[in-house]
Formats: sequence, C-alpha cells, structure tokens
Amino acid sequence: MLVLKSLELAFFVAILATLLGGFFAFFLTKTNLPFKNFFKLLFLAPLFLSPYILTLSWVDFFVYFQGGKEFIYSFWGVIFVLTLIFTPLAMLVIASGLDNINAKLEEAGLMISSYPQVLFKIIFPLVKPAILSSFILVFVLALSEFSVPAFLSVKVLTTEIFTQFSAFYNYGLALANSMILVFISILLLLSEKFYLADASFLSMSTKSQQSRIVELESSKYPLFMIHLLYLFFSIVIPVVVLSVQSFDSGSVYFFQVITLLIPNIINSLFYAIIGALVLLLFGFLFAYISVKEKIKAMDTLLLIVFSVPSTVLGIGLIKFFNTPSLDFIYSSFWIIIIAYLGKFLFISHKLIGNALIQIPKSLEESAEMMGAGFFKRIQKIILPLIADKIFIVFIICFIFSLGELGATILVYPAGSAVMGIKLYTIMANAPQSLVSAMSLVILLVTVLAIVVLVLFYRVFVFYRLSK
Amino acid sequence: MKNLLLMTFVLLTFISCSKESKDEVTVYTTVDQIFSEPILKDFEKETGIKVKAIYDTEETKSTGVLNRIIAEKNNPHCDVFWSGDPIRAIVLKNRGITMGYDSPVAKDISEQFKDAAYHWIGFSARARVLVYNKNLLKADEVPDSIFDLLDKKYRAKFAIANPLFGTTSFHFAALFSTLGDKKAKELFSGFKKNHLLIATSNGDVKKRVLNAEIACGLTDTDDAFTAMEESKNMGIVFLDQKGIGSLVMPNTVSLMKNSPHNSNGKRLIDYLLSKEIEKKLAISSAQMPLHKGVKTPKNVPSLDNIVAMKIDYEKTAKKLEEIQGYLKTWGE
Repeated sequence: MLVLKSLELAFFVAILATLLGGFFAFFLTKTNLPFKNFFKLLFLAPLFLSPYILTLSWVDFFVYFQGGKEFIYSFWGVIFVLTLIFTPLAMLVIASGLDNINAKLEEAGLMISSYPQVLFKIIFPLVKPAILSSFILVFVLALSEFSVPAFLSVKVLTTEIFTQFSAFYNYGLALANSMILVFISILLLLSEKFYLADASFLSMSTKSQQSRIVELESSKYPLFMIHLLYLFFSIVIPVVVLSVQSFDSGSVYFFQVITLLIPNIINSLFYAIIGALVLLLFGFLFAYISVKEKIKAMDTLLLIVFSVPSTVLGIGLIKFFNTPSLDFIYSSFWIIIIAYLGKFLFISHKLIGNALIQIPKSLEESAEMMGAGFFKRIQKIILPLIADKIFIVFIICFIFSLGELGATILVYPAGSAVMGIKLYTIMANAPQSLVSAMSLVILLVTVLAIVVLVLFYRVFVFYRLSK
Repeated sequence: MKNLLLMTFVLLTFISCSKESKDEVTVYTTVDQIFSEPILKDFEKETGIKVKAIYDTEETKSTGVLNRIIAEKNNPHCDVFWSGDPIRAIVLKNRGITMGYDSPVAKDISEQFKDAAYHWIGFSARARVLVYNKNLLKADEVPDSIFDLLDKKYRAKFAIANPLFGTTSFHFAALFSTLGDKKAKELFSGFKKNHLLIATSNGDVKKRVLNAEIACGLTDTDDAFTAMEESKNMGIVFLDQKGIGSLVMPNTVSLMKNSPHNSNGKRLIDYLLSKEIEKKLAISSAQMPLHKGVKTPKNVPSLDNIVAMKIDYEKTAKKLEEIQGYLKTWGE
C-alpha cells in the first residue's frame, strides 16, 4: 500500500510539474512574452530554497485560512508543495528541448498550415523526449523526497525507510525498502529507452537563436498576468512569509545570522565549487565513455546510485570510507564531494552526454588522422565546441551541490558544516525569526553566487574572444 | 596558470587530508545547537582545546548523530556523545560503543542518574510537561493529569509528537514501565479515540500550540519555556503531581570506546558535568540542575519541588525496544 501511495504521489507531482513546467517553458522560450528573462530567473528560485523551509513557510501561510490547515497537512498538500518545488526543474528540461528545435522545421510547417497545427504536429513530437525526461526526473525525485512528506505527516516509502533507520536501527529492512525505489527508477529508465530509442534524456542547448520566436498579440498581456500570478504564488508568498517572520523582532537577527553563518558560507561555496568541478570532470569522462564508446551500462549504474535514498547513500559511504586505510578521505571534505558525486553524477553525465552527441564523429576522426592524441582532441575540438554547455552544467551542479543535505548531513566531518546543515541544526528551539532570517540569507547568498559565476564566465568568454 | 591550478589542488588535498590534531576533541550531540554550541565554545576558550561538533537536526528527530555513531563504530571519530536523554546513551552502551568513565566532578550527582558502570552520567534535567495556549484553555480547564486528556472536552484539542522518536518515545516507554502494559495501552487507545494530533516533533507541538492551531500538547520543558518567551499566552503544567509524577530526563555524557582523543574527551566530560554548566543550561533553556546548590533563575523549577516519575532508565530503554512495534502501529 505504501509503495502504491508513494507511486501515486510521485505520479501526480510529475504530471503537474511537467504540465506547468511545459506551459511556462513554451511561453518563456518560444514567444515574445514581456520580461521573459526576468521570469526565467525568478521561476528558478524554489530550487535554491530548502524543501523543508519552503514547506514551513507554506504551512505558516495556510494556517490562516479556513480549511487551509487540513489541506496542507494532507496527501494533496504534499503534492502541492512538491509540485511548486519541481516545476522549475521541469521547466528547465522542457525549455532546453524547445530550444533545440530547428527554426527551419517550424517555418516549413507554417508555409502549409497554421501555428496551432505546427505546435501539435511538429513542436510537440520533437519536444516529446524532453517532456518524458522531465516526467521521469521529477517522478524519481518526488519518489525519493523525504523532508516534505515527513514534515506534513504523510506516510510514504521514504518516511518508512527513515523509521526503519532511525527508530528501529534496522538497516537491513531500510535497505530492502530502498531497493524498491531503485527498482522503480530502473524500470522508468528502461521504459524511456524502449519508447524513445536514442532520444536524449536530458537535453539542453545554448543556441536559442536557432529557435523560432512566436509573436504574441492580443494574448500577450493575459499571459503576462498568468506568469505574474504564478510568480506571486510560487515565490513571492513564501518569501514574504519568511520576511515577515524575519522582521518580527526587528533586524537584530540578521546580524546574528550573518555572524553565525560566515564559516558555513565559506565552506558551502568552497565545497559546491569543488563539487561542481569534480562533477564536470567525472561527468565528462562517463559521458564520453557512454556516448563515444557506446557503453550504456554507465547509465544504469549511475541511475541506481542516483535513485538510492540519501540516507542509505550516506550510511553506505560511512561503511565504505570509514576504515583506517581510507580515513584520510573520510576525515576530509572529500567525503562531501564524493556524496555530491553519488547524488548528481547521473545528471551531470546525462547533460554532458547530450552535448557530446551533437558533435559529429567526423571531427574527432579527422583530428585523429592528423595525429592528434586523445587529450589534444579533447582540448582542441571537444571542449571548445561544448564550452557554453559545460558552463551551464557547472552552474546546475553548483546549485545542486549547494543545496544537497540528505547525504552530506551524515558524512560531513565534524566542524565543517555547510549553510543548509547549519540551518537544520539551529532550527530546533531557535526563534522563528532567526530561522526565517537564516533561510533568506541563504537564498540571497545562493543567488549572488550564481550571478558572480555567470559574470565571471562572461568576462572569461569576452577575454577569450578578444584574444 | 595550469601549474598554479594543479599546485593549488594538490595543496588543498594535502591540507584537507592532514591527520586530526592532538589538541582537539570531537563531540556529537543531540542537544539543540542553540543551547549546546555556546557551551562548547566556552570550553574551547577556557582550555584551548579545539572542539569539533556535530549537532542533530529537528528533521532527523535526535537520531541522525546516533545512527552516525553506530555506522562509525569500527573506526570511531566521536570522542564524546552528549545526549538530551539517557535512552540514546543506553542504545550505544548496549551496542558496545561507549566505555565507562567515572568523572570526579559528578560525585555529588545522585546514582539514579548514572549508569552502574559509568557508561553515561546524567546532568541538567528536562521534564515532560503540558504546554497550553491561554486563549484556547481557561485556567480552570487546564488538565493536571495525563489521564484527563481522555476526557471528551479535550477531544481533538491536544498534540503529541511522533512516539517513535526523541523524548516522546522515552515518555511512552516510561508510561509503559510505570503503568504496566495493559493500562498504558488503554491510555493510548483512549488518546486515539479522543482524536489526538500526532505532530512531527516536540518543536512542532510547541509551534502548533503557539499558533493556536491546537489548545495544548505534551513536550519538553526547554521547548515549553522558549514558547513562553515567545508569547505571553503560553502556559505550562507539570502533570500528575498528585499521582505518577512527571518524567524527568537528564542530559547524559558518554565517552566513546577507542576514540581518537580519549583524554580530551574526559576533560570535556568533566567540564560538562560541572555546576557551572548546569547553571548556564538553567539560564539558557530552563534545565534543572542535578548538583546541589546551583543557583538558577526564578522561572526554573527545582527538582526538589517536582514529583518525578519513578523509573529505572535501563529498564525503560529495554521497554522501549519491546514496544516499538506497538508504537509504530499506534502512530499510523
């Protein structure tokens, strides 16, 4: 029953997030909607906040309404919160699929029919792999999410795994339950392979200029209002709730928060940057082996690790690395980086793999005939061609690493907590104003870090081009 | 440039992989960070010994660090386990993870708060109390016994945290030990029939009562006292003062077997067990000292004035293991 309930929950979240994500991806990618870049950036904000904190703010919002409490502490309340959390991810994946559509195909279609027909007969079939990818990714993530159903007192498979671990110390049963998650995830991957053959799982493009932009006319402002309304609903409300709570006792807590967080901010940014770099390195290696050498077992192996619940992964890492011979890793921050690898290498290798697929094999073959070795081919041909995409993967890995908690909390060396862990540990018995202020500071630091990285990359590209 | 990057990488690896320093101590604690961290920082300042700490989270319900200690059993990193209640310390003792240390500082602490072989020693105690919202319960409506909560007038008006975790699990086990299985099961079935609300944690109970989502709830004194600091509408009551008494739960400290900084661990244990720390915990979180003669703020009750539930911690821990299956079914 619990498995069915978890599947039902993940299904609804995946459907709703994919529908909403697909809707916004279309209008933000394919149309001239006003302020679309502004929306693109702000719609991502729920990804930067901890699911636990978002849930807290939604609970605090709903308790003010008649029947709101009953709604939020329910199966549908969990679906509501998880849908808002995962919609940006679905939007990213589908927007990348839409970006990849060649404008020539749409233009050819428009010569003989109307845009709605082009939308259903050309765009939809072309973007179908991305839609299915979004569904599968959100499904797997929703299935393995623990903090939201646990906080809202809804029993699912992950809360059962947690109970076995934490109340009964029954690692065997917890692992057996985790295997159900792994099995379901593998089934999903196999179904994807069966239906989509070689279609990409996670696609992305940086060449949006290839895509055709639709001119919105009378519907422009109603659609703008819909986007504004969603922005208000998904981001403004939780941020306002957190802000109101933060300023409940004046601005005193903001100073306390900054003092408390400084060492953790430094740790977080450092680990996330190293984590993103290592994820890029291994993601590239695995993707190269998978795409160029056609060794598909990599996908399955990485998916298994990806779908293992974080607690199980954390305990597994302790069991493996906490030995006298590997203690030099377990006692250092590298254990955190390894946890990031376990959690996100699947995503990194898929994204890079998709970029590699688009490079014609002939380019590498020509270089090889001219005597270029493996490393030279990578350096001179592959990397320059996918540099922009590599940077996007870096940013995605950075965001994921910065927010990872489930496995990190079990393995981080004493005295080297990251921002998210500090927030979780300070939460017990700390005043609500301090917790909310800390959440806002973390959100701000994350956004600032991303802006700085993007600016740094732009300067780097400018320098490279001018050279 | 490339060489510089490579050198930086090697340097980082070297720095991060360097062995643990001798002048440090590692402590894992389930005590709320907001109360435990200042004390550990004071120890660092006073002794010059660097404290590396791992704190538990509300989300993992005081079991995160315990699971980590169990997982690290064969190659321990933790020197001292500072627990918010004796149950977790007993779990570690029963798994052969802790070792005995009879701290000279704890000589005047009653033997009832110590393990017979000193695998854990108690200090600063909390108690289980009922926290209530004065806007929802008038003074004459406040229950004074846990059995009062079976009355229809409290139907759907009280909350308890998930009994599988934290001090609530301890409380349930203590009630089983004190009342006997039959009577305890009747009590808990009565709670269910009276539509009690099962919250995710004690903090959640406190928050729901504070937000007037529910009239009252069972929680720990530290949660209750912080709730009273946050709002004047909050009140607390020690239940069953004319009957079985309230459950009293001391903090405990344990020394880990084969830990890397054993002697520093002993120094930290001595420090935590001192009167000075009991005084600090009384001020910060209204915890009741176990040493005699510790001066406390007026709002902190004295153990001498509370009727405590008469339990054997070791037996209660065993009882908890026995009833966990029942608690899981009860909570579902």
